[in-house]
Amino acid sequence: MTHGDTATATHGTAAPPLLTARDLVKAHGRTEALRGASLGLRAGEILAVTGASGSGKSTLLHCLAGIVRPDAGSVTYGGLRLEELPEKRLSELRRTDFGVVFQFGQLIPELTAVDNVALPLLLAGTTRAEARARAGEWLERFGVRGQEELRPGEMSGGQAQRAALARALVTGPKAVFADEPTGALDSLATEQVMTALAHTARESGTAVLLVTHDAQVAAYADREVRLRDGAVSPLEVTA
Amino acid sequence: MTTLTSDIRLARQLVHGSDRREWWRIALTAAGAAAATGFALAAVTLASVPSGYTVSHFHGLLTGAGTRGGVISGLLLLLVPVLAFLGQCTRIGAVHRDRRLAGLRLAGATPWQVRRIAALETGLACLLGSAVATVFSALSVLRLWSGPTAATWVGFALVAVGVPALGAVAGAVALRRVVASPLGRVRRTVRRSGRGPGLLFLSGLTVLVAVAPLAMNRGHVAGNRFDWHTPLTVFCLVVALGAGVVWLAGATARFTGRLLAERARTAAPLIAAERLRDDPWAPARTHAAVLLVTVAGTAFLCIRHALLTDLHAMAPDHRAADLAYYTTGLDLTGAAVLVALAITLSGLAVGTAESLATRRRTLAAQVAAGVPHTVLGRALLLETALPLAPALLLAGAGGMAIGTWYATLTSDGSLPWTALLVAPAVYASCLLAAATALPLLRRSVRPGELRYA
Repeated sequence: MTHGDTATATHGTAAPPLLTARDLVKAHGRTEALRGASLGLRAGEILAVTGASGSGKSTLLHCLAGIVRPDAGSVTYGGLRLEELPEKRLSELRRTDFGVVFQFGQLIPELTAVDNVALPLLLAGTTRAEARARAGEWLERFGVRGQEELRPGEMSGGQAQRAALARALVTGPKAVFADEPTGALDSLATEQVMTALAHTARESGTAVLLVTHDAQVAAYADREVRLRDGAVSPLEVTA
Repeated sequence: MTTLTSDIRLARQLVHGSDRREWWRIALTAAGAAAATGFALAAVTLASVPSGYTVSHFHGLLTGAGTRGGVISGLLLLLVPVLAFLGQCTRIGAVHRDRRLAGLRLAGATPWQVRRIAALETGLACLLGSAVATVFSALSVLRLWSGPTAATWVGFALVAVGVPALGAVAGAVALRRVVASPLGRVRRTVRRSGRGPGLLFLSGLTVLVAVAPLAMNRGHVAGNRFDWHTPLTVFCLVVALGAGVVWLAGATARFTGRLLAERARTAAPLIAAERLRDDPWAPARTHAAVLLVTVAGTAFLCIRHALLTDLHAMAPDHRAADLAYYTTGLDLTGAAVLVALAITLSGLAVGTAESLATRRRTLAAQVAAGVPHTVLGRALLLETALPLAPALLLAGAGGMAIGTWYATLTSDGSLPWTALLVAPAVYASCLLAAATALPLLRRSVRPGELRYA
């Protein structure tokens, strides 16, 4: 089934988008990463953004998560225009409403797994003991039990990435943005990480925007859009 | 020769195609080399002054062989913080450079080629700084001294060549692991235990305890004859003291990290404490230089006070001009302590900035995940503030102990209250030096960094 080429084009009678991007343009120096990309992310869905290397997938994710501001176009979330918000507000939004997972690097190497997961809660003002307790529960949910006091460098890639997912979800965000979350993992670890992410997202009703070039990973999504030359190709439902 | 030329060309291309950090490294390395050359040339010039020659500057302080020797020793001691600063500068962008040179190895470069390119990168920067300092020093010597000797120019030549050579060797040695592994260092798996400085401290102390009494006895017996015990004692003292303060700096960082990691209630102290606990030895050398300067500064103020009290007591009617010989010496020593502090603070600022640059991808990921810049900035400052607080307290106490001991030997035992201010002043200066990296945090730790692996 093929849909229109914009974010607001929804499939069937589904809910309105949680987050909408319209005509995004973003250049890195002289290279145009996005050339009028539009996309919608609905509450509770898992959306895969695929495309060749250099097609602008990561830049699109960064714009949607309010990590970078587009040169033109708009990103709307809950009535807010993200490109108009001050950095402090965006930072707060990423801490409370969004979760972010990258291929690697999001865990602080010097903190233990449980302290890494507890960090967003500490920043929100939760006490250390309570933050650690809740972080421990999330690590257990992601099957990283018994590794709480290990540092990221002492964990396997799959364990570290599951800890990163736990950190992204611990505040109960409305949307999680995952940029090649399994890019550095083998197929078994990829399966473990994606199963955990898909299961938890569906259970909690969290929307997930997944950037990947891996068909195995994209198969976990409800919907897949393809980026080509900085623009979104017609949407295709994969599930 | 052709190979060397092609290596120079490649080194130039690599630096030219690199980011701003490389230019910072080159500029700061050149500045460090210029300072090292300047101090060494000043020492060489003074050492080459013939005996009996009257130096009109500094109220005759440089005329006597004994006091001149003291000034030369002071200049050579100033080389310690300068060389530490130089070492800090050569490490700027080390992770980036490690990867680049590991890439060369993967592309088929031999270990020797990589070592030579690394040596050229650092050596040429040192040569630039050294050349500038040599030209200025030579012009100054010609202006101030009518008859520099052949020994002066030989010393100049040796220093001008020696400093860049030392820089080149240091650059090559720093990359020994990359040379060993074309894959480079992805992450550090072996943690430093701090046993090295501890053992060095104990060894130095043991030899010192064994040799010092001999040197003191020989001092009475041997008169003016050359006695190897004294230089050995001084060498052991410097080694033991240096290793001791490195060990003290690392140990206090580890202790503070352990203590606070368990008790931290908010994010910034937690991040800072865990970083200290994870690698307390990373900033130990820079902090050790800060501690040495604090000990020296505190003790100097006490000793200065005691000496002046003593002088005024012995000759109450003397005019200021009569005491100029002594006060000039004291002022020069004070200036040397201040120069050492300035160099050490520069090293601390460079080290903090380098630590940021190395971690900027991880920090960018934190910012992307919503960790505010203010929290990361506070954590960065706490990494300096937490371990230095107890260490400086100890260093200040050590300096006061030395000063008190000297004061009780030579004068009425009174101490200047200003000596108590040295440790807090150094602490505040260190925080300011670390804070100079905060604008870099805001500028360089951008989510845009996430585009690069």
